[in-house]
Amino acid sequence: MCPHCEFHYPLSAPERVRLLTDRGSFEERDEGMFAEDSLGFDDYGEKLERARKKTGLDDAALSGTGTIGGRRVALAVLDFRFIGGSMGSVVGEKVARTVELAGAEELPLVVVSASGGARMFEGVYSLMQMAKTSVALSRYVEGSWPYVSILTDPTFGGVTASFATAADVVIAEPGARIGFTGARVIEQTTRERLPEGFQTAEFQRDHGMVDRIVHRLTLKGDLERLLGFLQ
Amino acid sequence: MILDFERPIKDFEERIAELRRLAGSSQELREEISRLEDALGAAKKRIYSNLSPYQRVQVARHPERPNFRAYRDALTDDFYELSGDRLFGDDPAVRGGFARLRHGGHNVVLIGHDKGTDVKSRVKGNFGMAHPEGYRKVKRLYELAARLGMPTVVLVDTPGAFAGREAEERGQAWAISADLMALATIPVPVISVIIGEGCSGGALAMCAADYVGMLENSYLSVIAPEACASIIFRDAGRAAEAAEALKLTARDMKTHGIVDEVLPEPLGGAHNEPEAAVEAVGKSLNRVLSGLADTDPETLREVRYERYRRIGAYASENGLAGR
Repeated sequence: MCPHCEFHYPLSAPERVRLLTDRGSFEERDEGMFAEDSLGFDDYGEKLERARKKTGLDDAALSGTGTIGGRRVALAVLDFRFIGGSMGSVVGEKVARTVELAGAEELPLVVVSASGGARMFEGVYSLMQMAKTSVALSRYVEGSWPYVSILTDPTFGGVTASFATAADVVIAEPGARIGFTGARVIEQTTRERLPEGFQTAEFQRDHGMVDRIVHRLTLKGDLERLLGFLQ
Repeated sequence: MILDFERPIKDFEERIAELRRLAGSSQELREEISRLEDALGAAKKRIYSNLSPYQRVQVARHPERPNFRAYRDALTDDFYELSGDRLFGDDPAVRGGFARLRHGGHNVVLIGHDKGTDVKSRVKGNFGMAHPEGYRKVKRLYELAARLGMPTVVLVDTPGAFAGREAEERGQAWAISADLMALATIPVPVISVIIGEGCSGGALAMCAADYVGMLENSYLSVIAPEACASIIFRDAGRAAEAAEALKLTARDMKTHGIVDEVLPEPLGGAHNEPEAAVEAVGKSLNRVLSGLADTDPETLREVRYERYRRIGAYASENGLAGR
């Protein structure tokens, strides 16, 4: 974070997990899942290799269980460094499994998003991950545990249009850009100049789409407060 | 409108029409006409059975392709339209209401993207690109169908959810996500047919269904080929390559297990014989609706869950792999 303007720099998924969970409490699940270049799409195979090397992750999601202020939760975190945090089959599957784990073990569910949207290199499979995560969530929300979605910079496209917004409580980091279509594309298609602060977390809160803007340094404490209201 | 690759066909057709006018009783000209007709048939077969993915996208977007209105008018005895999302407004880019289908007499909730038929109605319907109030109307209709126990038929034909300032201000992503959540649980059969364009989340919000049929020249894609090309190749002009890479045709979807059935179109595409194309969809709807009529709600929900829960392609160290 910038010490002067408090700009929230992107956080890797492992850093995010350390920030939110009690020390040593995180247990990763579903490691070792790898995307397949099932369409043979351009240089997707190489992109995956580079992203794996760069991040040390298998794909753009890290998931498991951990405690936050002593309360156990199921947690999935997206990593923007891995091909823009985009959702392909692995991200979709990991999120769905985390949702199912939360349901099976009656845990609150916390998902932290940072994503450009669906991973188009996986073609229609990436689109269908929106349906996959939605069916998983549709069962979870029949239970009596809450789903908390945390939107960080940036969260767009198929991720915002599926699991990231289908939550009971939506929290966003200050200044995070959040939306369906990116501002540049909107300006190109509609030839309209967009207002200052368009699609920021604050804009989304003011339009009724986000519950709370929470500073990164107080995020863990904020979640502890929220979880404290639950039986 | 004539697509580039249709030119040779149109040339034959114009030639034939011209000769017919001149022919009279000339035996020679009549023979020439019949020769040209054979050539026309061969050209049609050659051209239309070898369409590239991007050519199919162009057919899917053809302005004379039968759209929601054609299906509504030809396939229903009565369409009782319902409007509005009860929150903000009514979005004419998607329409819905109660319908009685001519084939089989099924009472259903019928929903579809409305691309319009002339400049005025096309603009009004925003070329089938819905705003959040459109998706919220759809959700309202899904929930109404669920309460009344009515099967739901959805005709998908959209270049995508609208990308604009107001759509963002009113929560486009939230509206689509809510549709997907509603679709996941409604206890009635949901039957979707992609009749033209099936682009991105704006299409998926209306086709994560129990049965998905796709017209032969329709497409389903995570992104428009032009947008994909401008991201990958930094050149929207390379859309044909992007369309190839995206594997977006009906046949690809069938191969990948995303759709249940490819519905054949008349030779030359649905716009060449709109009545026949619409009629064929009406017959399949009747068949599918009759087939699903006795499925109990819990089974429907269970099967739908499994269907969408398993889609994906990945490898796993513990040997459990997706398809």
